[in-house]
Amino acid sequence: MSERDPFTSLWIHQQQEPFKMTTADLRRHAAGFQSKIRTRNRIEYGASVLVIGVFAWMAFLIPEPMVKAGAIVIILGTLYVCWKLHALAGASGAAEADYAANLGDFHRSELVRQRKALASVWQWYLAPFVPGILLFIGAVAFSPSSGLPLPARLVFFAFAAALVAAVFGFVAWLNAQAVKALDAEISALDDAR
Amino acid sequence: MKPVQDQDQLYFEAAEAFGPALQRLARATEANAERRRDLLQDMHVALWRSLAGFDGRCNLKTWVYRVAHNTAASHASRELRTRRGTVGIDDAGELAEPHSFTRRLEETDAVDRLNAWIRRLKSPDRQVITLYLEELDAAAIGEITGLSPGAVATRISRLKAQLSKDFKEPSHV
Repeated sequence: MSERDPFTSLWIHQQQEPFKMTTADLRRHAAGFQSKIRTRNRIEYGASVLVIGVFAWMAFLIPEPMVKAGAIVIILGTLYVCWKLHALAGASGAAEADYAANLGDFHRSELVRQRKALASVWQWYLAPFVPGILLFIGAVAFSPSSGLPLPARLVFFAFAAALVAAVFGFVAWLNAQAVKALDAEISALDDAR
Repeated sequence: MKPVQDQDQLYFEAAEAFGPALQRLARATEANAERRRDLLQDMHVALWRSLAGFDGRCNLKTWVYRVAHNTAASHASRELRTRRGTVGIDDAGELAEPHSFTRRLEETDAVDRLNAWIRRLKSPDRQVITLYLEELDAAAIGEITGLSPGAVATRISRLKAQLSKDFKEPSHV
């Protein structure tokens, strides 16, 4: 073999730190990874239970039928999001990343997976709440018991709807920006191959 | 799925043969000692888990490097997202002024400087140069990275020139 260049020599001869993992260590770390995923899912489901609890309580307490209907539609939207979360968590668990793929394929499939998840957020994470929220704030704004004149009710409804639209729009915009960045990364990766 | 004993046996063979290379890769990926230790553990766990499905699509050496580099690349991209603007800034500052490589070779931080230089590279340049430094040829590097051997050779040539330039004598700058 030809003589090593100084960088290769420097690289190969760098000092090693003692490192060893037993099969027990490996199993414990692998289980810890699964446990992190379970904890994350529990937090998502816990937040959903909170939303369902609050709106169920409102539906029980508030006598206005349209407000009740709005709260129930929000609960249904939350249940749909939970079902989608459960389905996505199951799919990602079943299709574990192929770490033995070559770097280009692995990196590309990871970027495409992230892009797919982000690009569809508005469909399954935001849109299911829209009918319920609109119905709820509409019912509150136009409730006969509020005693407000019609222009004031319209302003209240428009303001609340605009606030919700701004929050949802901002989340959707953030996701769209992330998707754009991922598209650029995927494209750069394809060009480099 | 492979029997557990095969998986464990394969893992210990791989860890014995390529453990030092994994440690060097971790050092070239993560500057922080604690996170580097975590990354090294992640590489070993990913390797052990992957070996349950070792299907002979490539040899063990290529398999180990693929798993290690994929784990390292995921770590680097995650760190970049979560610690944007803080990764490698200290290293970049250190590299801003040229030093005598000959003199630096005699100093204990020469390896750190080389690793810092590698950490500043983007993927797949970072993978190509680390695999080159592990003395793999262009065909083997291509098999691990998915680049053609020609593209690998071109990158190596460019990266070596850049590396030499960044470490060259101050009088030549």
